[in-house]
Amino acid sequence: MLPPLKPIPVKDRVSVVFVEKGQLDVLDGAFVVVDKHGVRTHIPVGGVACLMLEIGTRVSHAAVVLAARVGCLLVWVGEGGVRLYSAGQPGGARADRLLYQASLALDDAARLKAVRKMYALRFKEEPPARRSVEQLRGIEGARVRKMYELIARQHRVEWKWRNYDHTEWGSGDVPNRCLSAATACLYGVTEAAILAAGYAPAVGFIHTGKPQSFVYDIADIFKFETVVPVAFRIAATQPQAPERAVRIACRDAFRQTKLLARIIPTIEQVLAAGDLPVPKPPEESVAPAIPNKEQLGDAGHRG
Amino acid sequence: MLVIVVENAPPRLRGRLAVWLLEVRAGVYVGKYGKKVREMLWRQVQEGIEHGNAVLAWATNTESGFDFETLGQNRRIPADMDGLRLVSFLPDGPKRKEEDAGPNAT
Repeated sequence: MLPPLKPIPVKDRVSVVFVEKGQLDVLDGAFVVVDKHGVRTHIPVGGVACLMLEIGTRVSHAAVVLAARVGCLLVWVGEGGVRLYSAGQPGGARADRLLYQASLALDDAARLKAVRKMYALRFKEEPPARRSVEQLRGIEGARVRKMYELIARQHRVEWKWRNYDHTEWGSGDVPNRCLSAATACLYGVTEAAILAAGYAPAVGFIHTGKPQSFVYDIADIFKFETVVPVAFRIAATQPQAPERAVRIACRDAFRQTKLLARIIPTIEQVLAAGDLPVPKPPEESVAPAIPNKEQLGDAGHRG
Repeated sequence: MLVIVVENAPPRLRGRLAVWLLEVRAGVYVGKYGKKVREMLWRQVQEGIEHGNAVLAWATNTESGFDFETLGQNRRIPADMDGLRLVSFLPDGPKRKEEDAGPNAT
């Protein structure tokens, strides 16, 4: 008998794989994409943080089960790789961590401390003292607009503003399309990492009210170091297929910045800045009848 | 770290590879060499493979941590997924026949 399948840590994985068309299935226990000519391509899902399924794909029940077992996040994306829906069980199964995150988000002082930490990590300097979350958000917005302009000028790209109509993919100009494709990759891996660490993607600190508020919070810390320079660099070359060129370049940027090894420690740093204790389980609570097995993956992985 | 796997290779090539690499299973050679030596080894394979086929895989600083190169006909062919290199397995049936029919038809 083969030993049971278990997830491995996110840091040891490849960031994203996009599957354009074909039937996703399991053959001999392996995850495969079968195209209409019968060509089979194995995807090592256990070693992938996030699998992006594009418009021409169909997924079998067995394929979803296998992806869930090994902790690979499945994301269904639309044109240009922009996220529509995600599923799977890469993690997010730790009540203590969810309660910790929620207690920080509910406490105004702790939330401000976490937001200030995000600002410090993002701009590599301490934010001005005595500012509210609202004020910090304003300062941040102004700085971000300036950075877009600066990076556009560095790559000699004509930049108007960050605009896109997410209902109509072709409507944006080339730099905006490159940016959307690049951020989609970043959001995919960030969501996979947040879930793997056992936290909730919806409970944000700067961003609120979206299913991925916390994903945007964390992704923003890495955005100007990874995907924004990549997007403008590719936009400057006026590529035939911007999405593909952007994804190849993102893969390199993620590797060079060691993104996958840094996301989870960064999340912990941000939350620790809130200065609240991790909530202890109440004394009368019942421990699991079957103790959890030792696992190889991250804390939030369902082993 | 590099691995060379040969199929249907003439014995003289297999002997040649064993000069630098360790044959851990039939046709599977392992070693640890730099780029220059790797290219020299691959030239040996290119010159000596005849009707067989071969693959060379080595450690790099790509995201997957390795890269590979192939030589000769095989049902497994490299597939590029936006910069990540995977392998596609061709079906046994019609595709093969098409290839066989190709030269005869013309």
